[in-house]
Amino acid sequence: MDPILQVEDLTVAFRTEEGPITPIQGVNFAVGRGRTLGLVGESGSGKSVTTKALMRLLPGNARIDPQSQIRYRAKSGEWVDIHRLRDGARKLRQIRGGEIGMIFQEPMASFSPVYTVGNQMVESIRLHTSLNRREARALAIEMLAKVGLSNPGQRIDQYAHELSGGMRQRAMIALALSAGPALLIADEPTTALDVTIQAQVLDLMRDLQRDLGMSMIFITHDLGVIAQIAQDVAVMYLGTIVEKGPVREVLKAPQHPYTRGLLRAIPSLDRLTHRLSPVPGDIPGPSERPPGCPFHTRCTEAIAGVCDRLEPAETMLAPDRSARCHLLQTAGRATA
Amino acid sequence: MARFFVERFLGMLVTLFVVSIMVFIIMELPPGDYADRFAFRKFSGLGITVTEADIQAIRVELGLDRPAVERYFSWIGNIVLRGDFGMAYAFETPVTRVIGDKGWLTLGLLVVTLLITYVVAIPVGIYAAVRRGSAPDYALTVVSYLGLALPNFMLALVLLYFANRWFGASIGGLFSPGMQQAPWSPAKLWDLITHMWLPALVLAWSALAYQIQTVRATMLDELGKLSVVAARARGVPEGKLLVKYPARLAVNPVVSTIGFDVNRIFSELPIVAAVLGLTELGELLLRAYLDLDMNVAGAILLILTTIIVVMNFVSDLLLAWLDPRIKLGG
Repeated sequence: MDPILQVEDLTVAFRTEEGPITPIQGVNFAVGRGRTLGLVGESGSGKSVTTKALMRLLPGNARIDPQSQIRYRAKSGEWVDIHRLRDGARKLRQIRGGEIGMIFQEPMASFSPVYTVGNQMVESIRLHTSLNRREARALAIEMLAKVGLSNPGQRIDQYAHELSGGMRQRAMIALALSAGPALLIADEPTTALDVTIQAQVLDLMRDLQRDLGMSMIFITHDLGVIAQIAQDVAVMYLGTIVEKGPVREVLKAPQHPYTRGLLRAIPSLDRLTHRLSPVPGDIPGPSERPPGCPFHTRCTEAIAGVCDRLEPAETMLAPDRSARCHLLQTAGRATA
Repeated sequence: MARFFVERFLGMLVTLFVVSIMVFIIMELPPGDYADRFAFRKFSGLGITVTEADIQAIRVELGLDRPAVERYFSWIGNIVLRGDFGMAYAFETPVTRVIGDKGWLTLGLLVVTLLITYVVAIPVGIYAAVRRGSAPDYALTVVSYLGLALPNFMLALVLLYFANRWFGASIGGLFSPGMQQAPWSPAKLWDLITHMWLPALVLAWSALAYQIQTVRATMLDELGKLSVVAARARGVPEGKLLVKYPARLAVNPVVSTIGFDVNRIFSELPIVAAVLGLTELGELLLRAYLDLDMNVAGAILLILTTIIVVMNFVSDLLLAWLDPRIKLGG
C-alpha cells in the first residue's frame, strides 16, 4: 500500500474539570493513496477526536502526546509531520483545506449563516490557489454542478438556510473539495440525512473519489455504509482500534467480539424473522475506562482474570489485517 | 433590500405620528395652561384684579381656546411644513430660537457617546472572549461590573477632579468661557471636541460595561460554532477568521439594542449634565414644565423621541445588513 497518511501511536489527552481524560490511546492506522478508510465505532469511541487531531483542530484543553506521529504525504511528494507543526503555521494552513478537506455531520451548522455558499467557496479557493475572484467563482460554480446541484449559477449566491438538507450536504462537499484536497475526511456525512438522500450522497462521494483520485477517511457508526464505500476499515472502541483490515475480510470473518457484535446489530431484510441482537450494555465514559481490555465489560467471551487485567496486544493476522483481543492470542498459543 | 427599506421607513413614519400624538397628550396633561400663568406673571403684585374674563381673553389671544384636535394639527402641521415649533410663551420668542444650538449639541453628545461605546466595547468584548479565562479577561470582567455598579454622576465627579488635576482640563460646560458666544469656527469646533470627551465618556460608561459583557458572551457562543471550526479546517488564517465569522455575529445584539442605549443615555443625561454644567435639553425641559411653557416642552420631547425612533430605524437597517436571515421575516 502506498500511504498518503500514516498515524502512529496517536494519544490525545484532555484537561477537564473532572480531571484529565485520554479519549484516544495509541491509535495506529494508514490511509492508502486513492483508497477509502472507514472508521467505525459507537458514539464516544473517539472517531471524531481522531480526525480532529489529524487536522490539529482540537480545542485548547487537548494535548497530543509527544510520542504521537501524524505524517502526511503532500501533493508535492514531500512528507509533512503534522504533529510537529506550530499552531497557526503557514504550512498547517496550507494543509487545512488545500491538502486535506473536511466535511461534517451537520451541513447547516458548517456553513456560516451570514455568508452565501459562494462567498465561502471563493474564499477557500483563493486561499489555496492563485485564481482571481472571477476565476474562483467560475470554479465554484463548476464544483456545485459537479456535486449535482441544479442551477449552480443561482445556488452559488444563496445562503445555506435557503437550500434543502440534501442540497446543503452536496454544497458542503463542493466547498470541501473546491480547493482540490488530496485527502477528504468525512465525519458522518450521511447520518443526518434521509435514507434515500443518504444513498445519493454516498454514490456521489464514491464517484467523486474515483474521478478526482482522492483518498478518503469516512467516519460512520454504520458498518452497512462502510461496505458500500470503503476498501479498508478500522473499528474503534473507547479510543483504541480493536480491529482493522480490508473491508471484505473484516466483514466476512470478523475476529474481534466487538466487530461481530456490530455486525449482528445491522438490520437485514433476509433475517426478518430474527430479532436484532444489540451489543449489550453501554460504552463507558472516557473517565471510567475499564482496566485491561476496554471491551471486557460488554464482551460475552471475556476470559476472567485475563481480559479484565491485561491490555491485549495487537495480533497481526496478515500484513494488512490485525485485531486486539486475548482470544486471538490464546488461540495462537494453543496452536503453536 | 429596497422593499425592506421602504417597509421599515413607512413603519417609522407611522411610529413618529403616534409618538407625536403622545407628546401632545403629555403637553396637555398638566392642570391649567399658560394663560393662567401669564396672567399671574404679568399682574401679580401690581394690585390689579385679574378676572376670569381677562384670562379668557389671553387664552383666545394665544389660541389656547381652540379644541385639542384642532390645536394638535396646527401644531404638528407647522412643525412638519415650516419647521416652526410655535412660540415659547415664557421667553416671548420662537421655540426654535430658545432651543437654538442645544438640540444639535445634545445630538452631537449622543453620537459621540455611542461611538465611544461601540468603538471600545466591540473590540474589547471580542478580545476578552478569545482570551477567555486569561488575566486580562478577568480584569475586564471586574472593571465592567464596577461600571455597572457605579452611578455615573459619581464617576463624573471623580473624572472631573482628575481631569482637572492631571491634564488641566477646563471643568464644566461644553465650551471654554470665551467660546460660548463666539460664532461657529474650526477653533470653536475643536474647543467643543476637547470638552465633549469627558461627558461622553461618563455617559458611555454603563453602556460600555454592559455591551462588553454582551459582546463577550455572544462571541464565546459563536467561537464554539461548527461553522468556525469548518472555516478553520479550510485554512482560513485565524485573525481573518475571527473577524469574518464569529465577530460579525457577535456584534448583532449590540446593533439591535442601539435604541435602548439611546434611551438610557437620554435618561442619564440630565443628571450628568447638572453635575458637569452642560448645555443640553434636559434642563430646559424641566424649566419649561415649571413655567407651563408647553410649546418648548413639546418641542424638546418631540426632538428626543424622534431621535430615539430614528436610531431604532438605523439599528434595524444595520441589523439587516449584518444578518441576511433578518430579511426573510420582512
